[in-house]
Amino acid sequence: MNYITGYYTTKFGELWDKSLFDLVEEAIIGVLKSTNLERKKIDAVFFGNMLAGVLGNNLHTTSKLSEILDVNIPVFRTEAACASGGTAFNLAKTYLDANSNKNVLVIGAEKMTDYSPEEVITALSAAASGEEQEAGLTFSGLYAMMANFYLEKYHYTEKNLAYVSVKNHYHGTLNDKAHFRRKISIDDVLESAYVSYPLKVLDSSPISDGASAIIMSNNLNFIKKQDYSVSVLASEIATDTISLKSRKNIDEILATKIASDKAFKMARIKRSDINVAELHDCFSIAEILAMEDLGFWKKGEGGQKIKEESTKYGNGGNLIVNTSGGLKASGHPVGATGIKQIGEIFLQLTGQANNRQVKNAKYGLAHNVGGSGGTAVVTILSS
Amino acid sequence: MISPVKIWRRQKDIRKILGKKGKIFLWTKIFTPGTSFKKYAPYPVVLVELENNEKVYGQLVDQEQKDLKIGTKVISVLRKVRTASVDGVIAYGIKFKPLK
Repeated sequence: MNYITGYYTTKFGELWDKSLFDLVEEAIIGVLKSTNLERKKIDAVFFGNMLAGVLGNNLHTTSKLSEILDVNIPVFRTEAACASGGTAFNLAKTYLDANSNKNVLVIGAEKMTDYSPEEVITALSAAASGEEQEAGLTFSGLYAMMANFYLEKYHYTEKNLAYVSVKNHYHGTLNDKAHFRRKISIDDVLESAYVSYPLKVLDSSPISDGASAIIMSNNLNFIKKQDYSVSVLASEIATDTISLKSRKNIDEILATKIASDKAFKMARIKRSDINVAELHDCFSIAEILAMEDLGFWKKGEGGQKIKEESTKYGNGGNLIVNTSGGLKASGHPVGATGIKQIGEIFLQLTGQANNRQVKNAKYGLAHNVGGSGGTAVVTILSS
Repeated sequence: MISPVKIWRRQKDIRKILGKKGKIFLWTKIFTPGTSFKKYAPYPVVLVELENNEKVYGQLVDQEQKDLKIGTKVISVLRKVRTASVDGVIAYGIKFKPLK
């Protein structure tokens, strides 16, 4: 069994005084301090990052991490668009499954706000198919196409989507590391400017900087000495076509369904056992699709269910979703997101989530998606 | 990066899907585009299901608001698709217009 024993995240936001590697260093120092782990006792590093090559002309980041850590161990970088962090975690777990008595550092980071929105949107679009890029589609455009399809098929309106953002912004007010820490109303969402019809600014996750890091171990001597640990019951990854047009169903993310089915089978628990979940709400529609594709809600019900606000903190629901604020309010430094999600579940399951602590949380799930659904990673943790 | 060679290679496929009829399967309207499309925003993009069931992406031109819905009949046309590259090569590609 593999255990997560520590987590640290930088604040997410427009961190103009910090470079990508300043953020990486802060996250590494933070997580090592929280676990009292000497850097020489790390056996391997897994680094999730999408855009350093495209935006910053920084590749071979693995070697840069070796320099920061002053070690000569294996360092791997993973890239799967916005699922780069989740993929790094999945690979780290696979490494531990194959090697006993090891400690690994899993870190995700992204620096996005040094560039204009157009440059960032173009860089993110590198994760779409060539044909989609050539038509002028963006990621908000691809999710907007899914949203239009979903709203028409199940007879919902933009207002149904807005409930996702209102909930996640409320959660963001409870997280001192979140990019946005202000409440918003349904009207605020509906009155915000369109990004890609029918999705608006307040349906969309922001462009953020940030880095998040986790220590995972199967070294029982080390784990015994730790103040906190949660067990990794499952981490499953699935892929699908890069192009939306090649998918059979537009109102679902098939990779999420496959990864989720495998993860629950591996974890040997039921959907109803999950108390807290961090879902990939890059756009409001994405959280609704995720709730359905993960099997928490039936297909087509999400538009109605979200209005009941049972997944909002403080409403007494059995499953609270995106206590970190989600990608929407916590921010979305793409490589860091997948690690932050798992870290938030770690905080919840170890009673460290402060003013957003879900009582008696025993099982948690993190769901990280790349592109318009070409990659999905589902991780299940237990206290 | 867009190179003239890429544009040339793509043109071989473009001519095969010119003048084809189909229906809008998915649509959106982009208000915040990437760098190469900034001067055209806002613009609608559609995924069209052609009569042979092939699906093709393209922007919708010569359109009115009422055309932006699933099922609208369209035809593929040749249009300039993005701002010219630094090499000055103008990229042409597929766009769609409503069938009147």
